[in-house]
Amino acid sequence: MAAFLSGISIVCFAASYGVALACEASRLVIRSGVRGAVMVGFATAGLMAHALFLGWRAANEAALPLSSPFDWYLLAAWLLAAFYLYLTITNPRTPVGLFTLPVVLLLVAAAQFSSREPFPRSPATQVWGAIHGVFNLAASVSVAIGAIAGLMWLIQAGRLARKQAPLQGFRMPSLERLAHVTGRTLAISAWMAAAGFASGIVLNAVNLRCGLLETVPWTDPVVLRMGALVVWLIAADALAAAARRRPDGARTGARLSLVSLAVLATSIAWGVLGPTRHGGGPLQPTAGTEAAP
Amino acid sequence: MSLALVGGTHRTVPISLREKLAFSADQAAHALARFRERFPGREGVLLSTCNRVEFYAAGSTDAAAPAHEQLVSFLADCRGIDAATLEPVLSRERDENVVRHLFNVASGLDSMVLGEPQIVSQVKQAWAIAEDSRTAGPLTTGMFQAALRTAKRVATETGLGRERVSIPSVAVADFASGVFERFDDKRVLLVGAGKMAAETLRYLRAAGARDVVIVNRTAARADDLAARLEARPASFSELERELAAADLVVSTTGASEQVVPLEVFMRAEAARQGRPLVVLDLAVPRDFDPRIGDRPGVWLYSVDDLAAACEANRRRRLGEMPLATAIVEEETSRFMGDMHHRSTAPVIERLRAGWSETGEAELERLFRRLPTLDAAARAEIRQAFERYAAKLLHPPLVSLRSASRTGPPHGLLDALRRLFDLKD
Repeated sequence: MAAFLSGISIVCFAASYGVALACEASRLVIRSGVRGAVMVGFATAGLMAHALFLGWRAANEAALPLSSPFDWYLLAAWLLAAFYLYLTITNPRTPVGLFTLPVVLLLVAAAQFSSREPFPRSPATQVWGAIHGVFNLAASVSVAIGAIAGLMWLIQAGRLARKQAPLQGFRMPSLERLAHVTGRTLAISAWMAAAGFASGIVLNAVNLRCGLLETVPWTDPVVLRMGALVVWLIAADALAAAARRRPDGARTGARLSLVSLAVLATSIAWGVLGPTRHGGGPLQPTAGTEAAP
Repeated sequence: MSLALVGGTHRTVPISLREKLAFSADQAAHALARFRERFPGREGVLLSTCNRVEFYAAGSTDAAAPAHEQLVSFLADCRGIDAATLEPVLSRERDENVVRHLFNVASGLDSMVLGEPQIVSQVKQAWAIAEDSRTAGPLTTGMFQAALRTAKRVATETGLGRERVSIPSVAVADFASGVFERFDDKRVLLVGAGKMAAETLRYLRAAGARDVVIVNRTAARADDLAARLEARPASFSELERELAAADLVVSTTGASEQVVPLEVFMRAEAARQGRPLVVLDLAVPRDFDPRIGDRPGVWLYSVDDLAAACEANRRRRLGEMPLATAIVEEETSRFMGDMHHRSTAPVIERLRAGWSETGEAELERLFRRLPTLDAAARAEIRQAFERYAAKLLHPPLVSLRSASRTGPPHGLLDALRRLFDLKD
């Protein structure tokens, strides 16, 4: 059993998600009675392998979820994959995987290129570190879900504006439902990101008091981009709320949610590739040393 | 066993004659009672819809299905039409082609609107009337059950029934449902009282719409329609206010000028607070200024837009035909195989009975010679005899079933009759 569990690698679940994505894409060209079962089968297998991989790391390598950038990205990918599986089972005619699985695979790829070094831990910082990580995780997943809904809104609106009947096997949710999801996720991501940033400040204060930091790295690139992300998400939520009573409010919300994902992706790329002292330790000048985005 | 079909559809029978030939449910039951008297021992099912009247007859070896001419004459008598008028327009099929035709009909492949689902319930109803009239027998029951199974397979395994092809259904399912998640909290406004409005409202009601307002230039007509459709009538002068409150508008007036010019809509738009609006302008000439469709949050569809979507769906349905036809062919072959196999039953029965009789005689002789055998031992020996007979019968039965797949196994049946001296 241990040999089996230790043999599960990123490739295992990434390949399963890849096959599920290929099945989703095949909706556009082939109709098949077994595709749904194959798709759900591969997605479930991927999700289980993914969970076992994280579980094995937690049990044997003391790498708890959110304890390193690598684990953080993988947990975010797992949450999105679970979200995809739930939607696919409850709405089998909606090609939600075409939009969700690429984001899942991007997060897995981001994990592959990020550091597996755990963030420095001490009893005093462990709680605030976990809170900081969980809020940031919730904000990121929420941004991703909102952007997926926003993209689907724009595609559905384009189809309705061109007065085209829906494609076979490619039935999108209604604009009303998609607008509701984008609105909610914009608000949730703004609050979660703000809470994540605030808990990061508390964490730094605790680190400073415990002597883990000499100074709070306010000008660290990761701190700056996290701050920028929080400001953007709050502004986006406010803009979306203001536009809600205008006839094009839903379109504005969809666009804002897509821009939010672009801001988050830039922020992650900046974190993965840029120098940082975020997460503790001396300034690290190369890739693969990023902390919780 | 034989099958016969005589019938006409919208393709072969002009509507003037179809109207005379059509049967109501009561008339069909009455006709079947007459059929039972005129053709005793035969089975019959009468399928009568807006677009077709077909009579399916079946008979056994002893009493074959009536000839086509007899069926034409029977239908003509039932409806008081001259048989000579019907002769040239009614099509005729026999045996396997009857089965194939019924399966095509039940699956909607022979319908005016390809793949339309209502025909399944009409086929079910025809069969039920025949059962009540005691003209449905084992052959027609098997055939109609297989037809319904085929229709179900075509509906689930092909996309034939998935694409909507009527303007009201496309308007609601493909466009209005693309904008709104639910309709029970939406205000529907009917402008005008055209037939298409009532039909569209039927789909909207099925989707959950509850709050419906009808605006018409003639107040009495609006009141009448509102009472029939369980809606609220409103004066035509309130159109602008109702436009501001509506989420979905179905417009079907016969007005020769625009009912809602851009300026009128702009005034209503200001009070809408950004809520999206779906407008189904089914009138010709159009009731809504086409520029209203360019306003943000407005989804305006004219009858031409919806007709184009219907046509695209129709083309997609046609693309499903090869798959649907393959299912019909598969089910036809299966049914005919079963039917041919069923025709071997009397010979098999006689063969079994002969062997059983011989076995019983031998057992009796054996038990007389061995009087000390107890009941358990006798039962064991009897079971061994039965197993032996069943094993000997198995190969010829398998050969008969296999030969039945391609047609009635007359050669094998003759051979069995001669080899085992089976008398009718």
